[in-house]
Amino acid sequence: MQPTRREFVRWVAASGLTLALARLSPAGALPFEASQTLPGPANAPLIGRARIDGVAKVTGAKLYASDFRAADMEGWPATTAHALLVRTPDASHVYEGLNLDALPPQARPTKVVGATDVAAAALRAPPFYAGDLFCPVGQTPLYLGQPVALLLFESFDAYDRARIAFRDNRALLRFGAETGPRTGPNYAALRFTRIAGPTPGAPDVYSPLQQGWISPGFTEDSGRPIWRPLPTAEGGDYARGATYGEEIRALLAAESSDLLVLKRDFQTQSVDPMFLEPECGLGWYEEGAGALHLVLGVQSPFEAAEALDYMLAEAPATVRPKRLDLDFASLGGGFGGRDHTPFPLYAGLAALFLPGRPIRLAHDRYQQFQGGIKRHAFHMRSQIGIDRATGLISAFAADHVLDGGGLANYSPSVATVGATAATGIYSIPKVDVTTVAEHTRGVTAGSMRGYGTLQTMTAIETLIDEAATALKIDPVDLRRRNLLTAGGRTMTGNPWTVSVRTPEILDKLDAHPIWRDRAARKAAAPAGVLVGTGLACCTKDYGTGADCSLGRVEIDAQGHVTLHADSVEMGNGIGTAIARRVAAILGQTADAVTVARIDTFQELGLVTSGDPYSMTQATQDAAAKNPRWVPAISSATSASIGAHVGTQAAAQAARVLFRFGLWPAALDLWGIKAGDPREFLWEEAFWQDGFLIMSGLPPLAQTAIAAEAHARKGITGAMAHAFSRWAWAQAAFPLGGLDWAAEIDALAVRQGDGPFEVLDRSFVFFPPTDYNRIGTAFTSSCGTAVRVEINVPGGEIRIAQAYSVFECGEVLVPELVQGQAQGGFAMGVGYALLENLPPFEDGPGNGQWNLGDYVIARASDLPLHALEIEVLPPVSPKEPPKGMAEVVMIPVVPALLNAIFDATGHRFQSLPVTSAMLRKVIS
Amino acid sequence: MSNLLRFPSLIAVTGVAALALGMGMALLAPAPVSGAAADALAPPASFAGITDEAKRSAALFTELGRVLTSPRCVNCHPVGDRPLQGDAQRPHQPPVFRGEDGMGLASLRCTVCHQATNYDPARMPGHDPWFLAPREMAFEGRTLAQLCAQIKDRKTNGDRSLADLVHHIGDDGLVGWGWAPGPGRTPVPGTQKEAKALAQAWVDTGAACPE
Amino acid sequence: MTALSLTINGTPHGPIEVRDDLSMNDFLREVLGMTGTKFACGAAQCLSCVVIVDDDDGTSATRPTCVTPAISFNGTQIRTVEGHAKEGKLTALQKAFVAHYAFQCGYCTAGFLNEAQVFLEGLQATPIPRAGLEQAILESLDGHLCRCSGYVRYHGAVRDVVLADPARYLR
Repeated sequence: MQPTRREFVRWVAASGLTLALARLSPAGALPFEASQTLPGPANAPLIGRARIDGVAKVTGAKLYASDFRAADMEGWPATTAHALLVRTPDASHVYEGLNLDALPPQARPTKVVGATDVAAAALRAPPFYAGDLFCPVGQTPLYLGQPVALLLFESFDAYDRARIAFRDNRALLRFGAETGPRTGPNYAALRFTRIAGPTPGAPDVYSPLQQGWISPGFTEDSGRPIWRPLPTAEGGDYARGATYGEEIRALLAAESSDLLVLKRDFQTQSVDPMFLEPECGLGWYEEGAGALHLVLGVQSPFEAAEALDYMLAEAPATVRPKRLDLDFASLGGGFGGRDHTPFPLYAGLAALFLPGRPIRLAHDRYQQFQGGIKRHAFHMRSQIGIDRATGLISAFAADHVLDGGGLANYSPSVATVGATAATGIYSIPKVDVTTVAEHTRGVTAGSMRGYGTLQTMTAIETLIDEAATALKIDPVDLRRRNLLTAGGRTMTGNPWTVSVRTPEILDKLDAHPIWRDRAARKAAAPAGVLVGTGLACCTKDYGTGADCSLGRVEIDAQGHVTLHADSVEMGNGIGTAIARRVAAILGQTADAVTVARIDTFQELGLVTSGDPYSMTQATQDAAAKNPRWVPAISSATSASIGAHVGTQAAAQAARVLFRFGLWPAALDLWGIKAGDPREFLWEEAFWQDGFLIMSGLPPLAQTAIAAEAHARKGITGAMAHAFSRWAWAQAAFPLGGLDWAAEIDALAVRQGDGPFEVLDRSFVFFPPTDYNRIGTAFTSSCGTAVRVEINVPGGEIRIAQAYSVFECGEVLVPELVQGQAQGGFAMGVGYALLENLPPFEDGPGNGQWNLGDYVIARASDLPLHALEIEVLPPVSPKEPPKGMAEVVMIPVVPALLNAIFDATGHRFQSLPVTSAMLRKVIS
Repeated sequence: MSNLLRFPSLIAVTGVAALALGMGMALLAPAPVSGAAADALAPPASFAGITDEAKRSAALFTELGRVLTSPRCVNCHPVGDRPLQGDAQRPHQPPVFRGEDGMGLASLRCTVCHQATNYDPARMPGHDPWFLAPREMAFEGRTLAQLCAQIKDRKTNGDRSLADLVHHIGDDGLVGWGWAPGPGRTPVPGTQKEAKALAQAWVDTGAACPE
Repeated sequence: MTALSLTINGTPHGPIEVRDDLSMNDFLREVLGMTGTKFACGAAQCLSCVVIVDDDDGTSATRPTCVTPAISFNGTQIRTVEGHAKEGKLTALQKAFVAHYAFQCGYCTAGFLNEAQVFLEGLQATPIPRAGLEQAILESLDGHLCRCSGYVRYHGAVRDVVLADPARYLR
C-alpha cells in the first residue's frame, strides 16, 4: 500500500450528475457573484496596494458563506429554513434514537433525517469519509460527535429552541446498553528506513526512494502493527526494510561509550483550528429543475463537488438531483480545518430532504468543537545517537502513534508527513521511523496548519537542545554540524530541490541579541522571575506532490484586468497575491478578482483519471496522450501552496496574454515591423506607473496597448492549468507561429471579444510518477528565538522578546508574508502554552466546549511590540515564491520549550505547558 | 416563553471541569456531612447528635462550607482582580478585571454581558447587580478553617456582624443566584433557605470553626 | 413576544415583534439580514459580535450581541460595521485597518472596528499621554480574539490613527 500524500477521491464522472460549469444566469453577475468579485470597480480606488478584500471586510459586506440567506440569492425563494445536525456525545453505548417528545412543542422539527433515510435513498459516504453518515439506531456510534440525525425546521425560532435544547439536554438522545467504544483497523502504518552509503557521494544502501515505501502486513490482536520483520513469504519488501531498521535500533541500544543516546517520549495534544467562522452552508433543492444549489465555504471546492457527487451518484432518479450548482464564498479562517471536511455533505442532505425550501445548516461554536476537524495528538518515542567526539548524529529512530479519531480523513497523510519530517533540518545517515495512525472514538482528526511536521519537529528540536546540553556543545553549533544542506539526502533518500537556507537562518539566530545576550539577561533577572532563552530551527514542505491551479486572466479594451482562480480566500490573501503577480505582467492591478472558482474554466475541457499520487508511469504516459488530460484538476488551498502553486496558472496565463496580446499591440503602436530585431525583446520591457517602458522607445500607456490589442483582435484572455509533482508539468502550445513552452499543461485563449478556445498542447512533460516516493522536495525554513520570563511561584509565563527569521523566495505581498508570520507566532504560542482538548468523553465530542475552556492566544499573551520578523531576500531575483504559511508556526513551539528549560531546568515532554505545570516544577 | 428553554436538571460538565473538580476541588471541598446528596444540604437538625457544641458548630460550618466553596461562590470571590468562570474555575474569558467598583474596567464592564437575569440561550448568567466581592473577601484557595476565620473577621467580611453574615448568605439576591445559575453551571447544593438555616445554626452554636 | 424598536446606524427600525429570548445577534443577522455583525462563539468569549451602543449622555460602549436578548436593546441607538463609512467614504480607522493589512480572514474585523472606534472616541473625550498609548490599546482590544493575525497589525493600525492626529487623541 502506498498512502497518498494528500488523499484525493477520484473524479467520478459516471454518476450522470452534471457539475454546473457555469452559473445559472448567463447575463451579467448574480448578486452572489458580485459579492465575491473583489475589490470591484467601485472599491478599487480605495484599495491602493492593500488587500483586494480590504474594503469589503471593513464595511461588513456580505462575503462569507455564513452571511448568505435565501433572500440574498437571486432567483431563490425568499425565506430560509434551518437545519440542526445532531451529534452524539456518547460513543460507548448503543444509540437508540432521538427522544423528540422531550422537545418543547415550539421546537419540533418539520422533518428528521437519519441513517434509515440515507440508506433508503442509497446515499453513500464518499471513501474519504468512509463510515456511516449517521449512526444507525441500534449501533454504538463510531466516534464522539458522529451525526445521528439532521433536523429540518421551517422557522428559525423552532430551530433555535431545538439547538439550545439539544445542547443542554442529553436526554434528547437515547442510549442503551454499554458496549464500550468500537474498534477499527488503523488508518495507516508505515516505516521509513534509510541507510546512507559509506561516503557522502555514495548511493544509499537502502531508502524509501530506491526501494519504495513499506508498511507492515501484520497486526497484533490489539490492532497494533507488528513492526519486526516476520519470517513469512509475504511482505518481503517490508521484511527487507525492517531488517535494516532493526539494525539501527540495535546500534542505538548498544550502549557504546562513544555515542550519546537519548531516548525520549513526547506527547502532543489535540487542538482545534478554531477558525472564527463556524462551518456553514446554504442550500436549495430546486425540484423542478432538478438542481441542487449550495453556497459553501471550504478550502477544497473541487473536492466538495466530488464528494457531493459521490454521495448522490447511486440515488434513484426520484431522489437524485440532475445538477449541482455550487457557489463558494470567502472563508472566515481555515488553517486546514476546512480542507476535506464532511460538512458540505450534510448541507447538501438538508437541502435534498426539504425540497423546494432554501435551508441553512450552520454550526454554533459548541457544534464546531464537537464536529469540526482536529489536529492529531501524537505520541512519539524518539531515540537519537550522537557521536561524542564529533557531535555528528549517527542514527535516529522513532515510533509515532497518532490519534486519528473517528474517520480516516487525512490520517494516512498526516502520519506520512510527520514521519518524514522527524529528522528536522538534519542530515542523519541512519534513520528508522515507524508511524501508525489509529482509529479511536475521538472527534475526527485531519488537516491543520503544519500537520505532522509541527508535532515531530517539536520533538526533534527539543531533543537536539537536550543533546547539546548533555554534550556541552553550543545548541547552534550542534545544529550547524548536522545540517542537511543543498544536495544532501533527506530521510526518504531524495535531496531537497529548492534553496536550502538553514545555514543563514542559524547564523541570524546566533547573532541576534536575544540569543547573544541570553546569559546577561538571565543574570539580570529580577527577584521572583526566572528568565530563559531558547531557539529552534525547522523546515516545512510546501505542496503535496500533486498540486495544481487554475487561472483565467482577461483584459478589456480600457486595460481593466479581470482574474478568476480556483484557490480559496481564507485570510491568506490569495486573491491579492494573484492580482499582484499578474499586475507585474500586465501593468494594471485587476479590479475584478474572483477566487474559489471551479466553474469558469470549462473551455479547457479538462479530464482526469487515476490517482496522481499512486499511478504508474505507464498509466500516466498513456493518459497524457489525451491533450485534455491532467493528473488532477483542482487542489485544495492548503499545504502552503498559495504563493507557489495558487498563483502559477494565472501568472502563466498573464504571460501568454502579454506575449501574444499586449506585446504585438505595443509593437504595432511603436511601428516595429516583423523582422525587426526588437520584435522578440519582450522580456526587456517593463511596466512603470501604467506605462510600458522599452529602452529607446516612447513609453506606451497600458490602456492604449489594451485598446490596440482588442482592435487588432489579438489575444485578450488566457486561461491555464498548472500541475506540480515536486516539479512543474511543462507543455508547449502553438501560439503566434511559435511553439510556446511554459510551466502549464493546459491553455485556452481568447482573441478580441471572441470566446475562449482551447489549444492542443504540442508537447507535454509530466513529472515522473516515481517522484511520489519523495517525502519532501520543496521546503522552506524558519528559525525562532524567544526569551521568556516566568514568575515564581505563580508560574505565569510572559514572552519578553521574540524573533522569527525565514525565507520564502520571491515575496509577492510583503504585508501578507509578515502577517502570516505574526499569526503563525500566535498560533504557535497557543499550541505550546494554552490550547488543549482532552480526548474522548471529556473532550470536544461532548458538545460542551467553547472558548472559555479552550483558550487561544490573546494579544496580552503575545509580545506585540517585541516580536521581530525577518524575511531573507530571495537567493536570486528569479527565485520563485516558496510556501511559508505553515513553517512560521513551527519553530515557535520548540523554541518556547527550550526557553522554558533554560529558565526552569525542566524539560517538559508534553504539550501544552501551562502555568499550573510551571508552578509545580519551580516550587 | 423562555421557560420552555429551561432544563433545570441538566448540568453540563466539561472535561476541564471534571478534571478540576476531580483534582483540585477535591482537596478543598468538604464531603457532605450526615450523608446529604451531592446536590443537597444536610439540615441543622441532622447535626444534633454532636453533643459538643463547638464541634457541632464546626460541623455546621463544614456543611455550610459546601456552599461557600461552590464554584458559584468562589468564582466571584477570587484572589486577585480577575474572576473565575465555570465549574472548571478557570480564569474568566474574556479577561475582565475588578475595576474600581468591582464591576469591571471601563473598557469592559460586567453589565455589558451580565444582564438583570440569566440569558439561558447563551448560558449567560445575570443578576442586578453583578459584581466581584472585594479583594479582602477572597475565597479562592482557602481551607475551610481559613475561610471560617476570614468570614468572622469584620476586616475581611465586608464589616459584617454574624447576623449580617446570615443575612448575606440567606437573603442576598446575588448570592441567591448561585442556586439558579442556568444551564451549564452546577448550582450550589441545597437551597438558599437551607443555607441560611445552617448559617443561623452555626452562629447560634457559637460560630466555631473547623480545624 | 415583545415589540422591539431601535435605531441602527441612524435608521429607525421597528416596532418588530420578536421572541423574548431571541439573541440580538440573531435579530441582526436572521431578522434584519445585517450580517456584518458576526457570530463566532455565542458566549461573549471572542467579542467578534460586538456593536456600539450610543448612550443618551454622549458616551458609547460596545456590547456583545450573542449573549444578550434583542429586546434588551429596545430603545437604544446602535452602530454596526455597516454604519461606519458614510457615502462610500471610509473612516480613518477603516482606512488604517485596510492599509495595515490588519486582518486576514476578516471575520473578527467588525468587532475590532467597533471596539477601536469606541476607544478612539474615548480618547477624543479624554486624551491620554503618549507613553500610555500601547497599553491603553491593549486593554481596549484584549477581549477580542483573532486567530489569523497575531494582533500586531490591528494594534499598529489603531496606534497610527492616534499618532496621525495627536492633538485630538493625546495630551
